[in-house]
Formats: sequence, C-alpha cells, structure tokens
Amino acid sequence: MRVADILKLLLLVWLAIVIVAAFLYVRPAEGFIGESSRIVFFHVPMAWIAVLAFLVSCVTSVMYLKRREPKDDIRASVSAGLGLLFAVLATTTGSVFARIMWNAYWNWDPRQTSITILLLIYAAYLALRGAIDDPERRASLSAVYAILAFVTVPFLVFVVPRIYWSLHPDTIINTRGANEFDSRYTQVLMASLVGFTGLYVWLYTIGCRIETIRQRRRQEVL
Amino acid sequence: MADGVRISFTDVAKRYDLRVVFRSVSGEAVPGEVLVITGPNGSGKSTLLTILCGLLRPTRGAVSHVLDGNETAREEWRRHLGVVAPAMAVYEELDAMENLRFFASVRGMDRAGGRCRECLDLVGLDPDRRTPVRGYSTGMAQRLKIAQALLHDPAVLFFDEPGSNLDPAGKNWLKEAVRGLTQAGKTVVLATNDRDEMEWGHRRVALAG
Amino acid sequence: MSRLLAEAMAVAAKDLRTEFRTRVALNALGLFALTVLAAVSYTVGPYRITAEDRPFLLAVLLWIVIFFAALAGLDRSFVKEEESHTAPLLRLAASPTAVWLGKLGFNLILIYLLMAILVPLFCILMGYKIMLVGGFVLILVVGGYALAVITTIVAAIIARAMTRGALFSVLSLPLLLPLLIFLIQGTAGASVGTSETVVNTLRAVLSMGGIMTIVSAMLFPVVWSD
Repeated sequence: MRVADILKLLLLVWLAIVIVAAFLYVRPAEGFIGESSRIVFFHVPMAWIAVLAFLVSCVTSVMYLKRREPKDDIRASVSAGLGLLFAVLATTTGSVFARIMWNAYWNWDPRQTSITILLLIYAAYLALRGAIDDPERRASLSAVYAILAFVTVPFLVFVVPRIYWSLHPDTIINTRGANEFDSRYTQVLMASLVGFTGLYVWLYTIGCRIETIRQRRRQEVL
Repeated sequence: MADGVRISFTDVAKRYDLRVVFRSVSGEAVPGEVLVITGPNGSGKSTLLTILCGLLRPTRGAVSHVLDGNETAREEWRRHLGVVAPAMAVYEELDAMENLRFFASVRGMDRAGGRCRECLDLVGLDPDRRTPVRGYSTGMAQRLKIAQALLHDPAVLFFDEPGSNLDPAGKNWLKEAVRGLTQAGKTVVLATNDRDEMEWGHRRVALAG
Repeated sequence: MSRLLAEAMAVAAKDLRTEFRTRVALNALGLFALTVLAAVSYTVGPYRITAEDRPFLLAVLLWIVIFFAALAGLDRSFVKEEESHTAPLLRLAASPTAVWLGKLGFNLILIYLLMAILVPLFCILMGYKIMLVGGFVLILVVGGYALAVITTIVAAIIARAMTRGALFSVLSLPLLLPLLIFLIQGTAGASVGTSETVVNTLRAVLSMGGIMTIVSAMLFPVVWSD
C-alpha cells in the first residue's frame, strides 16, 4: 500500500469518527434549539474550506501570472470548483440552521452576506472561464479576476460585520467565548475542521490530476 | 544596417479548445527581405501573423524580435512594427486625418501633423482626409490602413492580404511600395494567397491547412 | 510621466469624440437612469415612504439606479473597440497604461455626467432631504471614482471574452457589492446628518478606490495585451 492509500484510509476513518462523535460524543450546546447545534460541526468547516479554496485559487492565480505554467491555472480552476461546492454546502447548512433558530431561511446578516458574495465570485469566475475559448487567455484573464476578487474580500469580511448587528453566534468564530462550550464541543469542532481540510486536499489533488491528464491528451492532439 | 529587425520563430503552434490551427511552424524574416506566408483559407496565415507581431500568445514555440543584435521584449515590439490586416480596422467615426493624428499622439509622436499629411499623400488619400472613414470605399480604407502602418516609420511591416481591396493601379503601387521598403532595409512579412504577391517574397513559409 | 498623461488624454479624447458622434453609451446610461427614475418616482413617489425610513431607503434607490445605469453603459469603451475590430491597432499603437488611464478618464466623465443630471433630479422628484450636502457631494465624487475604477478593469476583461453583455454585470456585481453597501450607508448618514458615518464611509471608499486603482494599474497590461 502506498502512502497515498494509507492517508486516504486515515481520512475515511477520521471523518467517520467525527460524524459519530458529532452525534454521540457531544451534548447539544446551550442556547441552541434542540439538536441544531450539531450542524455547527459541519457548517463551520464547510465555510472555512470555501474561504481556503478561494485563497488557494488566488495564490495559484498570482503564480500563474508570474510563471505562466499551465499547472498553476489547473490548480486555480480546480480549487475554484471545490470552493463553489463548499460555499453552496455552507450556505445551505447555514440556511437550514437559520430556519430552526430564527425561523427564517435567509436574513442577510453579515456572514450570510459574505458567503453569498463569495458564491457570486465563484460563479462569476467560472462563468468567465466558460466564456473564453483560447486556453492561454482564459488562464490569464481568470487569474486577473481571481486577484481582483481577492482584493475586495477584506473589505467585506472585516468591515461589513463591524457595521451591522449580527445574528450569527459570535462565540463560534471568536475564541473568547470558548468557555461557553464544553471542551468536547471544541474537540469535535477542531477534529472536524482538520477532517474537512483533509477532504479538500484529497479532492483537490484528484481534481488536479484529472485536469492535468485531460490537458495532456489535448496536447497530444496538437 | 543599423536599424534592422530580425524575426525568428521556432516550433510555433496554436490551438483553441475545439480546434488546432497549426502544429509546428518555423521560419525567419530578415531586414531587406520579404517573408511570404502562404496557405489555403483557414490554414492560419492571419493567426501566425498575429502571433508574430505580438498580439497573440502561441500555445507552444518561441518568437523573437532581434533589433541591432539585442532581443526585444514582447511589450516593446509594437514600437518597431506596423500592421495592415483585414481583421484590424481604423476608427470609422473619425476622418483620415483624425485617425492618423490619434495614432501619432498615442505613439508619442510630437507635432505629427506634417507627418500625417505626408503619409496620406503617399497613399493618395490627401484630398479625402476630412471625410469620415465610414464613407470610404474599401480601397480607400485599405490605403488608410497602409498610411497608419507607415506613420511611425517602423522597421518591420506586416501585411495580411494587402492587395485584396485594391484595384490594379493600387496593386502596382503596393508592389513598388514594398520594393521601396525592402530597399530601405525594412523587414517585410506578407501573408497572402495572391500569386503575384507571392512572387515578391525572398523566403517562404507554407502552412499546411 | 507627462508623456503617459498626454497619451492617455489622446485615448480619452478619441473615445469622447467617437462617443459624441454616435452617442451609444450616453443613450444607454441616460435612458436607463431616466426611465428607472421615472418608474421609481411614479410608483414610490415622495409620500409613500415614512419619514423614518426615508434617509436609508432613498439612499438605496439612488445608488441602485446609479450602479445599474453604470452597468448599462460603462463597458462600452472596451467592448466597442473589440466589436469594431479597432482594438488590435490600438494595442499596437498605445502603451497599455495609457489606454487604461484614458478609458478610466472616459468612464469617469460618463459617471460624473450621469450623477450631475440624475442626483438633483432624484432629490427633487423623491423629496430627498440631505443635511450634510458637502459630505454627500464628497461621497458621490469618491464613490463615482471607485465605481469607475472597478468597472473599467472588469470591462477590459469581458471585452476579451465571448458572451459579453451578461458577463459584465455578473463579474462586476460581486466586486461592487461592498462598495454599494458603504455608499448607501454613507448617503443615509449624510441625509440624517451623522458626520461620523459619512467620514467612515469616505475612508472606506477611498481605501477601496485606492487599492483597486493600484491593482488595476498592475493587472491591466496583462488583460489588455494577452
């Protein structure tokens, strides 16, 4: 068995443990309705991955513009595709949670707004890629857009929430509220974050490999 | 000659998502000579021309412009070349003089009014210089494009099917003009299917199509 | 530097001249803005919004009209070059930065022209009372600039793609949303008279405009020349 296979198995086991622990190991948290706090173990990592994927897209976009190597463009587009997936997942799980807690699927509180804009950015990025048929131009223009989008994000993430009152339980992101949850909660949350990151890395690696093969076959035609 | 530009290209290929334009093209254009690019319709003559003047990136391969023994960066190529092509238009809403004045000022040429008129006169458009280009015949528009290409006295001239809109007198004029350019040490690259124009070439690159 | 400015002005002057002779962007911007203004004025009018909600809601309406009018017309200067096939010769003749500055200047003129006509009309028709007029004008100026900077680089990107019309809005909106939020807030603040909000908005929009200017200046040559 190669190292990659071992890691894959490890990931499977890890995530399985996380899922089980989310339901059996932890009591529902205070201040949440019913069992709804359990969704946090999945919703937060998904949102985190959506942002991480964006970061990876931007960094590889910058690298593409510097070095003009096709593999950087592959990485950027694969990461964007995954980012979109996780952003959609995060939005849906968050929306379900919002319905349970505050009786409304959507409220436009700052974090909901931010994830929506991230979704729009991903959609725009992929729409742009779909509209250019020259591979080199597609790569450089989408790289430029990724960088532009990245530059506007800090304004959203840091400034907008300060201005608006938020429905979001702040304690989840700010660790200052850590002692409001029991340590099991944080354990499982951290484990879930690690697991989801592993999931992203795995999907990302596969996606890059597939795309590389696809490009290589096209080069052969050439 | 001091101002010569030598253009060499090796293993140049261009592919779009759904089609391959050409696979591997190599050649060289030297000062004082005409490089002719030939090939059937759809073989990629215009595409190759666009790549050679720096407006398009090749999928593979290298293109270099060497000026006075020094290789020039792609961003700088535009300074020493002029292009006449069907796919590249001048501004219809402006007249000939306004067009040339614009190109001159944007190239950083000072007090270019005289030079603009000189070029217009060269192509025989001086009497019509104040008519909007929208009202030009295709032959007149073609001559304006030629004037635009010569405006800044570039070391390299690219022509894509230049005689296609010209009458026999115009074609003769063009032939003499190209001869004059090569005698002046300019590098000329000419993409064409016209048998006569092909005869002007010293070197040839044939695209398979 | 002065050479660059001279070349940029030549580009802007050319765009203005051709625009004046065909009036396509002006029509798009103007017609859109006036039509929406008429619709809003007719359906909502000066009386239907409570005094309490006015500062905020009218700010929202105003900026939505401005933004969508901008999206209707500001891609014109780049898209036209590609559609008329004049872009290649421009690429060969001008330095990318001169083109960027010139077209940015052109878009700025369009946006400020739009604002000069639309904003007073809006305030009159909708009965929008502004307490801090100076702050309001500053917000318009700075906001208009940020709007122009962002839409200029996006227009340059989509002009080189295939399905241009919808793509301009799709790509611009995510980048413009934060700006829109700030501007609405600041305008509402100017209407009510809270100078702190106005100052915060100006600071945020200025930094946004500043950063987008620098990033655009660095990335535009890639978009233009590739």
